Amino acid sequence: MDIVIENLKKNFGEKCAVNIPNYTIHSGDLLGLVGNNGAGKSTLFRLIMDLIKADEGTVRMVGNFQEQQVDIDVKTTEDWKEWTGSFIDEGFLIDYLTPDEYFAFVAKICGVSQDALEAHLALYERFMNGEVLGQKKLIRNLSAVNKQKVGIIAAMIQQPKVLILDEPFNFLDPSSQSAIKHILQQYNKETGATILISSHNLNHTTDICPRIALLENGVIIRDIMNENNSAEKELEEYFEIKD
Amino acid sequence: MKQKLTNFQLYKLLRQNDKLKNKRHPMFEKNKFAKFMGYFMIVYFAGILMLLGATLPLAFESTMRSMAAFHVLDSGFFYLLIVDFWTRFMFQETPAQQIKPYITLPIHKNFITNMYLFRNGLTLGNLFWMFFLVPFALVAILKYYGMAGVLGWLFGYWLLIVANSYIYQFCRTLILKKLIWILLPLVCHAAIVLATILPETNTLGYLFTDWLEQCIFWNPLSWLPQIAVIVIFFLLTRKLQAGMIYKEIGKVEEVVVKNTSDIKFLNKYGAMGEYLKLEIKLRMRNKPVKQQFFIGVAFMVLFSLALAFTSVYDGAFMTSFICMYSFVVLGMMTLVTIMCHEGNYIDGLMSRRESIYSLLCAKYYFNVLLLLVPFFITLIPIFTGKIEFMMSLGYLLFTAGVIYPSIFQMAVYNNSTLPLNAKLTGKQGNWVQQVVSLVAMFVPLMIEKILIVCLGTTGGYAGMCVLGLIGLATHRIWIQNIYQRFMKRRYTNMEGFRSSRQ
Repeated sequence: MDIVIENLKKNFGEKCAVNIPNYTIHSGDLLGLVGNNGAGKSTLFRLIMDLIKADEGTVRMVGNFQEQQVDIDVKTTEDWKEWTGSFIDEGFLIDYLTPDEYFAFVAKICGVSQDALEAHLALYERFMNGEVLGQKKLIRNLSAVNKQKVGIIAAMIQQPKVLILDEPFNFLDPSSQSAIKHILQQYNKETGATILISSHNLNHTTDICPRIALLENGVIIRDIMNENNSAEKELEEYFEIKD
Repeated sequence: MKQKLTNFQLYKLLRQNDKLKNKRHPMFEKNKFAKFMGYFMIVYFAGILMLLGATLPLAFESTMRSMAAFHVLDSGFFYLLIVDFWTRFMFQETPAQQIKPYITLPIHKNFITNMYLFRNGLTLGNLFWMFFLVPFALVAILKYYGMAGVLGWLFGYWLLIVANSYIYQFCRTLILKKLIWILLPLVCHAAIVLATILPETNTLGYLFTDWLEQCIFWNPLSWLPQIAVIVIFFLLTRKLQAGMIYKEIGKVEEVVVKNTSDIKFLNKYGAMGEYLKLEIKLRMRNKPVKQQFFIGVAFMVLFSLALAFTSVYDGAFMTSFICMYSFVVLGMMTLVTIMCHEGNYIDGLMSRRESIYSLLCAKYYFNVLLLLVPFFITLIPIFTGKIEFMMSLGYLLFTAGVIYPSIFQMAVYNNSTLPLNAKLTGKQGNWVQQVVSLVAMFVPLMIEKILIVCLGTTGGYAGMCVLGLIGLATHRIWIQNIYQRFMKRRYTNMEGFRSSRQ
């Protein structure tokens, strides 16, 4: 599924949060979004998911879904929700459910069968590290790291064609970071899904993303093709603090 | 050099923050309109109280010739305090203790709790009964003791009402902790009422009369009981609230999920079943939501039982009022804040297709099913011939098909998140929601009376049934309409929910 951004603008008062004249994320891309705080990464994700109103411009999703050609503007229809999974922050989690109940809830409303859900959860056993399922603990009582895991796993339950994760490496310990990197690469390879992640961790981003967009003040200032970690040096130079 | 603020400067600073909080609340504009509506209601009730205050002394004097009118009121002042106490549940919430932002600042930990408690005692709301008491005193006391006597008596009563407000604060805080504490004021009030009714000589009544008469003479000893109650309950409430606030902020409390495989029968209803489960779990696993829900259900059952087994509410108006109230009360208490709790996870819901529509449907089915509780209980007074079957059926269908659709409109406009698990550190409701509650309480009665005048008793209730059935039959259409209007306002609402999350 392609994500086509055209003349997209969002201001918060005087401050420009997003200003992207033209940008296409191609079907099957694993795109890393990097930039300093306030660069507009989360705002761009929220605009792509129609969670905030754009001042101008459109976000379209174009591609094939269930053997039909689709081309939709996300703000005019809810069709895109059928093939998009996302996790931005805790505002996505229903915290008075246990992880098991939350997964079952998401699966049911996405039309995923119980068997398929169980098979899906089995793939994440190592990632969950025995701390998520069967704990009889409400999500609100989980640690930040486990909440993050619940959000990521739930976003992937419906096997989305578009997956959007904001700061997926946050809170995670090194083993879980490694696990999620592997999971995302594998998922991208096996399903051809379009994956968008944002991160402050340049190493992880360059490790797994063949394409990286660098945001500054809401503008994509560089669109970097990252072959064999070639983007690492360029990004380090950009982020290096110079007197 | 550091400059330390005086307590008064600090109070002013925190007061300013509270004002800004209200001004920048996502529902401020709507609150302004509802405030305007609210003032109308205040004027209306004040008018009724003034009328009562001016006419009751004459009624007392003509029926109880051996006693002065104010002695009659003094001997039964406790009834006024009971009414005052229980009406506070509708209009006065525990102070929303916005303590969190100040917790790590160098402010004494009792200062903010004290500030809110003081403010609650000195609120203008505690003067509302003066609309009744001032005309009463002018008619009943002025001619005997002059203006000084009137003022002394009013001051004594004001102290009583303030003391009552602190007792209410204490009980309300206890009830927030555990619902069972509602029995404390219930039992105490019942005991005092029985103590004044059962003995042949109303000794308690004489005691009250003598005590309150001393207020007329500005005898400082007559204020001591009130002041003692104020001080005791202030300190008790402060201690209680402080403990609860720190527990809440520290998130010490954990809900232990004993059984996660419950409500399995809903599995066969697919996604709708999941939303129904969500609705049930929302009410069962979040303490403030659960408490509000159970208080609503308790009121619902109590009113139905009172109608069924007692003669307290005899008389055409009171019977229909209580019958209607037993159906409406739950929705009135829980549905005016519809979507406010969902504000906590609105992003998650909005990233699923038509989830808000399904959620609204589930909420509707859940609340309509609950209406069967008062319906079944009111079958008892129906069998004893106390009320008509058509009345109960009329209110059941009218509530489900007219009142609920009206309250559900709030789903379009509510855009302020209510915390799921904070009780004292949480936020209060707003004026719009209170006005809608009042409208939900009185408008159905007006419609009932109009229908009865136009169509006769049975015809009137049949009319309510028809209106209700239309609402029920078309529920998918009007819920769809609410959903579409919600989606048109989605950006504003989501922004409001996000900015008011704790």
